[in-house]
Amino acid sequence: MASEIIYESIEDFGLIRKDKSRTLFSKIGIIGCGLVGQNVARVASTYGIEVVFIEISEEKIKEAYVNLGKVLDHRIEHWGLTSSEKRSILSRIKGSMDYADLAGCDFVIEAIRAVDRGARLKERKGIFRKIEEVVDQDCIIATNSTTIVITELSSELRHRERCVSLHFFVSSPEARVIEVVKGLYTSDAAYEKVCKFVNMINRKIIPVAESAGLVSIRLFVVLLNEACEEMMEGVSTVEDIDETMRIGLGMRMGPFEVADIMGLDKVVMWMENIYSEFGDVRYKPSPYIKRLVRAKQFGVSSGKGFYRYDHEGNRLLAGSTNC
Amino acid sequence: MKILVLNCGSSSIKYQLFTMGNRKVIAKGGIEKLGLKGSFLKHDPGGDRQVVFEGEILDHKSGVEYILGVLTSEKYGCLKSLEELDAVGHRVVHGGEYFSASELITDEVIDALTKCADLAPLHNPPNLKGIQAMEELIPGIPQVGVFDTAFHQTMDPVAYMYGIPYVLYKKYGIRRYGFHGTSHRYVTSRACEILNREYNSQKIISCHLGNGASVAAVKNGQSIDTSMGFTPLEGLIMGTRCGDLDVGAAMYIMEKEAIGLKSASVLFNKHSGMLGMTGISSDMREIEIAAGGGNERARLGLEIYNYKIKKYIGSYIAAMGGLDILVFTGGIGENGDETRFEILKEMEFLGISVDDGKNKGLRGREQVISKDDSPVTVVVIPTDEELMIALDTEKIVSKKG
Repeated sequence: MASEIIYESIEDFGLIRKDKSRTLFSKIGIIGCGLVGQNVARVASTYGIEVVFIEISEEKIKEAYVNLGKVLDHRIEHWGLTSSEKRSILSRIKGSMDYADLAGCDFVIEAIRAVDRGARLKERKGIFRKIEEVVDQDCIIATNSTTIVITELSSELRHRERCVSLHFFVSSPEARVIEVVKGLYTSDAAYEKVCKFVNMINRKIIPVAESAGLVSIRLFVVLLNEACEEMMEGVSTVEDIDETMRIGLGMRMGPFEVADIMGLDKVVMWMENIYSEFGDVRYKPSPYIKRLVRAKQFGVSSGKGFYRYDHEGNRLLAGSTNC
Repeated sequence: MKILVLNCGSSSIKYQLFTMGNRKVIAKGGIEKLGLKGSFLKHDPGGDRQVVFEGEILDHKSGVEYILGVLTSEKYGCLKSLEELDAVGHRVVHGGEYFSASELITDEVIDALTKCADLAPLHNPPNLKGIQAMEELIPGIPQVGVFDTAFHQTMDPVAYMYGIPYVLYKKYGIRRYGFHGTSHRYVTSRACEILNREYNSQKIISCHLGNGASVAAVKNGQSIDTSMGFTPLEGLIMGTRCGDLDVGAAMYIMEKEAIGLKSASVLFNKHSGMLGMTGISSDMREIEIAAGGGNERARLGLEIYNYKIKKYIGSYIAAMGGLDILVFTGGIGENGDETRFEILKEMEFLGISVDDGKNKGLRGREQVISKDDSPVTVVVIPTDEELMIALDTEKIVSKKG
């Protein structure tokens, strides 16, 4: 066994002298570590990338860690992961309340959740500016928002060419696709860099033109509205509609199940955003969903939505709620 | 002649530099966390010091470049210039049905390797990257590929075909390939060398027992059967791999546990084997300690492990119609005297009789452990795949030169 260990900097030993280089996407930042933020953190860290997430309080940071641990434990119980892999995934994820910790990130994604559109846009713009203050000029700044257009969001930045929109799927985090939107200002270089990142985390890129609701959400909200219509007209029940779509049309989950996972408050917000963009009533939230949201029945997160759930988020077999 | 042996993994590169005259390693080391944050190169220039080079190592090309840079550096190197390097030998995991021996790397070889990439998606692509990086950095340097599967290409279809529709063999190359070939070849030929026997006339069984484990039957210098199959999952029970398993059981588990292919792969490759059976560890020493302390599952786990190896040995004696030499190698094969003892006990009727005095306490050293009058010679040989790769490279390059 060697008794002496000497440390050197490797850059001095290349055949071709070069400047200190940096591994692309060795570190990424996430603003807001709710459901989406946690998914992004977990997926990126699984592929060996360091993650810093910013939350507003110590409590929220702790909560995010607890949830991350739960999801990974669940994967271990179902044989998809080993405990040492869990440890190394968690060790790469760091929570912070200080934007300064984003320094050195190659990519920062905003994934906050805010309720009303006006405040939300303003808040997101503020976050974009704060990110820009601490990161390098070539750092990609992205949003996970699907109904707010990236051009509008990036309009106040100094380097708006580096902004893109990425949509990670919340209802099926293991889905191997990500919608990627190039804004009006987004440069080709920035877009290519993002594609590289998406490839690194083993996802396929679905290129989408800038349009509220992208491909997925715009189609989904119409499907959900129509499903609500069918239910309200008494054509069928929540369970039967879901089962028809699942088995008959080969979807992994029915529209009501998906909506409950996404969160009905969020779904209503999307619907309103898309409706205000296109002005077509088919995007307008169904009164049934609005009723549920008013009664704070948001879906899995609140224990009740189209279905009922226990505090672990498992669906109770009792059936749909009637309100 | 100076030969560099490279083993390129997806996020690591290991290297050893040999002077072939005396078969000595003059420098060795490895890169870890390649392409990730915190990557480093650990270099062992000989003597009692070790050097850790820290910094970002982006990809295989820059990794190989840094290795060459360190080897030729004034401070830690042992080469005056790159011209001193005569050839490079690469460990390549899967040679499919294309390669039955080590081969000088040419464009055709690279084409064939690319075609094999499907069979070893985690291993072959980085192997190829290492070859390409070397060609770019020292254009024209002779490079040799040494394949884990090549030694077993002498197997007869009787041993390598599965009982499934023939069309699947034609379509996807589903058959048994076997692995650890370089190790089995090295230890079996080395055993003949030290025992002074004619390699081409012996019936040998070689047990490579490490974290991955396989048994090979070598008759007249050719591998005729081995326990690993289409993937390294088949055969013996390993550290975390399940080994032979009824496909029906696998399907039943997948249905009951509601898991897909990915989780099933993690289950059978990482949660199973000694770790899964004992719930303690994949490390044999820890399991032995637990069994010594009265842990019932640990004791049973060890028994199952040994029993399986015994069964394979028996079946290969039957397949070869006898046995002359039995070799133990790999971490457990070289160091586990209890494991060896348990596997070999009550096999006198097959001509295997072990000298307990020689076996007990023997660790990591070449030595015969059978009694002098034992019809079968049992021997422990520490494996040295890197040396085998260097020797193959030397042979091929000299022939060409």
